[in-house]
Amino acid sequence: MTSDQRRRVRDLFEAALDRDPPAGAGSWIAREAADDPVVRDEVLSLVEHHSRAGAFLSHPIVEQAADLLLDEEPLAPGASIGAYTIVREIGRGGMGRVYLASDGRLGRTVALKALAPHLTRDPSQRARLRREARAAAALTHPGICTVYALEEVSGELYIATEFVDGHTLAEEIRSGPRPSAGVVLQTAQDLAAALASAHASGVIHRDLKPDNVMRSRDGRLKILDFGLARMDEAGPGAGHREGGRVPYVTQPGVVIGTPAYMAPEQINGLAVDARADVFAFGVLLYEFACGAHPFEGSSQLAVMARVLESDARPIAARCPALSGGVADVISRCLKKAPAERFGSAAELVGALKAAGDAGSAASPHATWWRVHQIVIAMLHIVAATLAWQIKEWIETPLTIAIFLALGAAATIAPVLRGHLVFTEVMNRPHLARERRRTGRATLLLDLVTGVLLFIDAGMIAGTRALPAVFALSLAIGIVMASIVLEPATTAAAFGSDGS
Amino acid sequence: MTADSPQPPPAEELAPLVYDELRRLAAAYMRRERPGQTLQATALVHEAYLRLAGAGTPWHDERHFVGIAARSMRQILVERARARGAQKRWAELDRVSMTDALAVAADPAGTLPALDEALTRLEEIDPEQARIVELRYFAGLSIEETADALGISPATVKRRWALARAWLFRDLSGPA
Repeated sequence: MTSDQRRRVRDLFEAALDRDPPAGAGSWIAREAADDPVVRDEVLSLVEHHSRAGAFLSHPIVEQAADLLLDEEPLAPGASIGAYTIVREIGRGGMGRVYLASDGRLGRTVALKALAPHLTRDPSQRARLRREARAAAALTHPGICTVYALEEVSGELYIATEFVDGHTLAEEIRSGPRPSAGVVLQTAQDLAAALASAHASGVIHRDLKPDNVMRSRDGRLKILDFGLARMDEAGPGAGHREGGRVPYVTQPGVVIGTPAYMAPEQINGLAVDARADVFAFGVLLYEFACGAHPFEGSSQLAVMARVLESDARPIAARCPALSGGVADVISRCLKKAPAERFGSAAELVGALKAAGDAGSAASPHATWWRVHQIVIAMLHIVAATLAWQIKEWIETPLTIAIFLALGAAATIAPVLRGHLVFTEVMNRPHLARERRRTGRATLLLDLVTGVLLFIDAGMIAGTRALPAVFALSLAIGIVMASIVLEPATTAAAFGSDGS
Repeated sequence: MTADSPQPPPAEELAPLVYDELRRLAAAYMRRERPGQTLQATALVHEAYLRLAGAGTPWHDERHFVGIAARSMRQILVERARARGAQKRWAELDRVSMTDALAVAADPAGTLPALDEALTRLEEIDPEQARIVELRYFAGLSIEETADALGISPATVKRRWALARAWLFRDLSGPA
């Protein structure tokens, strides 16, 4: 567009807005700019977007995000906060900076969270934080980071918690290779158990995400920050409070949480319960297992739109290594309607245990499959030995070539089949994939071995009848085992899809 | 801005002064603020001007200052939002697709970097519109104050502001 055209667009747009009544502006613009379709389309598009822009930019940013201006200087190492001495800053979150500090009274190391001033200015917010700290302090589970104290030092609020030395799941997801199915299951079970313990105490996390879960150096998981939790109305002790009702500590309609992990009802600002944690758990586990978000989008808004409107990208396609049971659990956690998810983390624990049992208890038929694999591998060795004997009896270029070929097959086939047996025993979730990778090679080796043995049998049929019959039987046996028996033992052991 | 005064230092040299003062004032303001009140960006800018003018900083006048302050506010806020966004996986991306329903739930700080980039594109086409957005959105000036700062009529500001909003909204709504 030339600058003349731009000026014309501007003048026409402004004139269109000034028109009274605004209706019919479209046809007016079309008439005014009939000679220049570029200008006409641009003005129409801008007028259309103007009508849809709503409250866009109508409130100065500072009024909405004042905390952006409040980037306090961090506390220096050695600074004293009450009885605590700051060692160093270890993190920053939406609620404020977190420091490693030592508690002089007890001589222990704590994580000290300095709550951002915008959270603590309002007395009702302070009251809310106190209630939440009390609720969180009541949680004692090895999978939950223990809250020690809520401290008030010269008007600022600090939460002292157990210090977990390790890394977050977010870091693990970003940096590490994809975890094995066994690690995913163990992680899911540990997290679900910790969540279930909190839910049983009537505390909902409301902001469960990979940044809020730490793996300590000894490998244990700890959920951090039950900071946005509220006492559940149905929680134990609810009857003793304020006429039987526990007040909502967050207002309906106020959106709290991290967009990418919020359940649809949470995004919509509706009241949430334990099932919102179940949803967040599903997103977290999906991301942990696959390294990708189930509602991946190009921005927070795009992700939220997907959470509200689209189904999660199928986990089985993204992450085929995961066992079917665990994949089903995760998919059910990600249902849009809370009623379709697990009702609580306790149900989740049960479902994961069932999935784990199903995954680890190998079908008794798997033994037959293993025997089959080992026997075929041995038959290849017998075939090579027989070919060597035939070559000794009749040494022609053909028998030498057949011996060399069968010798090679007798090396490769046992390696491939041994690999499958090893995978089945040690790394079951990858078996289906390994079978697909090696399936053609094993079939080809079996068939070629059968054909070559058949030729060898023909070579000695006139002179040595018994070995010829033996070679012929072996050839037929290997081919039949490969074409008929193997599909049958595999289907019996792993189901018709062979997974 | 006026031809007869001595050349002022360039905006890049003045911005850090404004930046520091605004940051200090905002922090102090937030501490003493009563619950339920919102921070008035205009008040902040005005106070920063009075303090810096008292310190003998070479502004021509408050108008000149306000322009630099608005730009500084934009820099500060966008930098902060970026620094924060860098810790969040989902805020890394530059373009924002916006539906009316979601715009309500959107975190304005999270979309700030995208807005900043859109504004830079607008600036290339029409610097005046970009100035208006800085004054209105980042410094919180009213139509009249913006008109005064730019030396144009309030009616013109109002129209240009509408045009800038429509343009930015379209740009942020993603490829048409």
